Amino acid sequence: MPRFTAAAALCLASATLMVLAGCKIIKTPTAEEAAEAASDGFNPERQATELWTPKVVPYLTSKAGPYAEVAALIASDPDAAAAKYGHKEKEGNAPWTYAANISGTVIKAETTSRAGYLDTDIDGDGKADVRVQIGPVIKGTAIRDSLDFVSFNQFKNQIQWAEFGKAFNADLNSQVLQALPREGLEGKTIEAVGAYPLPAKGQLPLLTPVNVAIGG
Amino acid sequence: MKLARRLTLAAFAGVLALGTAMPSYAADLIAIITPSHDNPFFKAEAVGAEAKAKELGYETLVLVHDDDANKQSQLIDTAIGRGAKAIILDNAGSEASIAAVQKAKDAKIPSFLIDREINATGVAVSQIVSNNYQGAQLGAEEFVKLMGEKGNYVELLGREADLNAGIRSKGYHDIIDEYPDLKMVAQQSANWSQTEGYSKMETILQANPDIKGVIAGNDTMAMGAIAALQAAGRKDVIVVGFDGSNDVRDSIKAGGIKATVMQPAYAQAQMAVEQADAYIKTGKAPAEEKQLMDCVLINADNADKLETFALKD
Repeated sequence: MPRFTAAAALCLASATLMVLAGCKIIKTPTAEEAAEAASDGFNPERQATELWTPKVVPYLTSKAGPYAEVAALIASDPDAAAAKYGHKEKEGNAPWTYAANISGTVIKAETTSRAGYLDTDIDGDGKADVRVQIGPVIKGTAIRDSLDFVSFNQFKNQIQWAEFGKAFNADLNSQVLQALPREGLEGKTIEAVGAYPLPAKGQLPLLTPVNVAIGG
Repeated sequence: MKLARRLTLAAFAGVLALGTAMPSYAADLIAIITPSHDNPFFKAEAVGAEAKAKELGYETLVLVHDDDANKQSQLIDTAIGRGAKAIILDNAGSEASIAAVQKAKDAKIPSFLIDREINATGVAVSQIVSNNYQGAQLGAEEFVKLMGEKGNYVELLGREADLNAGIRSKGYHDIIDEYPDLKMVAQQSANWSQTEGYSKMETILQANPDIKGVIAGNDTMAMGAIAALQAAGRKDVIVVGFDGSNDVRDSIKAGGIKATVMQPAYAQAQMAVEQADAYIKTGKAPAEEKQLMDCVLINADNADKLETFALKD
C-alpha cells in the first residue's frame, strides 16, 4: 500500500512537472507590493528611501548652520532664524524645526535605553549643549518636519503623514546609526548634521542626525 | 432687502417662543456641530467656538450629532436652512462626512473642520486636525519611560468604530512595540467609557495580577482604570491617559494617574472661528487646508498649568 502511494505520488509529480513546463511563471507580488497596491500606491518606506540620499541629506547639510549660531539667532531674531535655518507647516501649531551641525565632545552616552542618545558639549565648558539621538528608537519626526519639499497636505490623512515621518527614522537607523559604535563613546569627539525642533524651556535640544561621525 | 429681512425676523420671532429675546439687528449665523457634550473634550470645543463667534459678533447655532452620520446630515440641512454663513464641524466619520460637507459647499456654505479630518480635500475650507498620532507617541514615550522599558501592561482601547481609537492605538504601538521587554498581556475596548474602564480593569486585573502599567485611549477610561486599581489596593500600577481633562489633571496632582496628552480643543475651535470670520469677510482661505494641531504631554511637571484643555503660560 505505501509503495503504491509513493508510486502514485511520483506519477503525479512528474505529470505536474510536465504541465508546469508549458507554463509561464508569474512573479507573486511581495507583501510590501501588495500593501502598496491596496493603499492606492502609498509606500512611505520607498518614498522616504528614494528621497534620503539625493535630497534629504544634501538639503539638511547645506541648510544647517553651526548650532551655536543657530541658537544665538533664534534668541536674538526668531524670524530671521526661522527663515534661514527653520521649517514648519504653514498652518497648525507645530514648532519650528531647525537644521544645524555640531562639532563637540560626548560627555554622556545613554546606550542602555533603546532610545539612546549622546549628550554633547559644544562650547567646551564641560556641560551638555545638545542631545544627539542615536536610536534605535528615534523620538519624534524632526527629519520630516525640517523638509520644505514635503507637506501634510500632500498626504491623505495623519496616519500616512506619520508613517512617512517614521520611514525617515528607519532610513536613519539602516544607513547611519547601525554602523555607529556603542561602546566607549564618552570623551570622544563627535560631528553631526541634523534637525531639531525648538526645545521646551529648560530642555536640551534633541538633534535627530542624518550624518554622524565619531572621532578619537 | 433689509426691511424684508427684519420682517422675516420679526415673523420668525413671533413663531418662536414669545419669551425669546431676539437681537435688534440680524447678525450672521455660525453653526457649531460636534459629537455629544457628555465628553468634556467636545464640550470645550463647542464652548470655545461659541465664545469666539460671539466675540466677533455672530449668532451661534450649537448642535450635536452623537457620532451618527445620518443625524449629522440632518444637522447640516438645518444649518443650510437657517442660512448659516459658516459651519464649524467636528465630524462623524472620515468617509461618511465627505458627502455632508460637500452638501454644505454646494449650498455655498463654507465648512471649517476641527479635531477629526475627512479623507478628501477641496471640500472643506480648512481642516484643523488634532494630531492624535503625535499625541499618542508622546503618551507612549512617557509610558515607556515610566515603565523602565520593561514589564507587563494592558491597553484599553476606545470605541472600535471610531477612527481616533485606531490612530491612538497605532501611535502607542509604533513606540511601545520597539521595546521587546514590554509585553501586552491584555487589550480590550472600554468604549471611551469610565464605567466600562472600571469593570474591564477589574476583570483584567483578576486574570493578570502581575501587570505594571495601563495605557488608555482616553482620559475617561483611564479614570475608570485607576479607580479599579485603587479599589484593589494596586497603587503601584502606572496609568497613562489621553485628552488632558481636568479630572485627570487632578488625579495626576494627587499621585494617581501618571500622565496624559492634552489636545488643544479650545484653541483649535477658536482658530476655526477666526478662519471662518476671515473667509466670510474677505473670502480669503488659510494658506493650507489641512492644519495639524500638535498635542502636549501633561505630567506632574506641568499639570498645574492645565485648565479646560489649555495650558496657561
